[in-house]
Amino acid sequence: MTAPSSPAEELGQLRRMRLVSIIEGCTLLTLIFVAVPIKHLGGYAIATTIMGPVHGMAFLLYVWTLIETVSGADFPRPDVVRMVVAAFIPFGAFLNERALRRRQALLVSA
Amino acid sequence: MQVYLWLKALHIAAATTWISGLVVAGLAVVSRQACAGMQATQDRHYLDTIRRWDRCVTLPAMFLTWTLGIAMAMQAGWFSSPWLMIKLGIVGALSALHGALSGTSRRLDHGTDQFAAVLLYAAPATILGIVMIAILVVTKPF
Repeated sequence: MTAPSSPAEELGQLRRMRLVSIIEGCTLLTLIFVAVPIKHLGGYAIATTIMGPVHGMAFLLYVWTLIETVSGADFPRPDVVRMVVAAFIPFGAFLNERALRRRQALLVSA
Repeated sequence: MQVYLWLKALHIAAATTWISGLVVAGLAVVSRQACAGMQATQDRHYLDTIRRWDRCVTLPAMFLTWTLGIAMAMQAGWFSSPWLMIKLGIVGALSALHGALSGTSRRLDHGTDQFAAVLLYAAPATILGIVMIAILVVTKPF
């Protein structure tokens, strides 16, 4: 691995990545626990027609930001593997958010 | 039909903007490598400009390309077509390449000259990807 970008910029990037993780996780929660019941119990298919693509775009943003974050910083390889795997499992974004928060706290205290 | 044509026109405009930004970002990485170890202030300014362009123009263009493309495919009912699945795979790879280039530019902008060597081929890989997409979209072979 090579040297990372400046600490201030890495902190900014981690904040962006955490925000995107939360957005991705929330859109998935909304899709599964709000839109899907509305469709199947209420008969309104429009709920998933709207929330499906919204979550799809949030997921795309999440994966893109994850790639950008690990490409520009000095992440240990196991962390990169864990974050990429978590990106593809339901609610993995929340796990990554916690890991990123710990890394952010370490950077601030350094 | 009118809506479809608008979606198509805006999708092509967004994709052109995205791909041009991607090629420039790929060339910037090559340029930075050529200046490795030099006091290349001008090159640093050039990279900084490209990074700002990437954040303000290329990234939104990428998301617009995805959004309009998915809207078009939904309207035309193409999601069962194999050619679209292959195209989505290529667009996904180009998006990942964009993310890697963006992160690497951030790293290079802070004086590091080391990065994944595969990114030196980012610009030609982008052109190859867009040629494949054009062929798939126009001929719709399967």
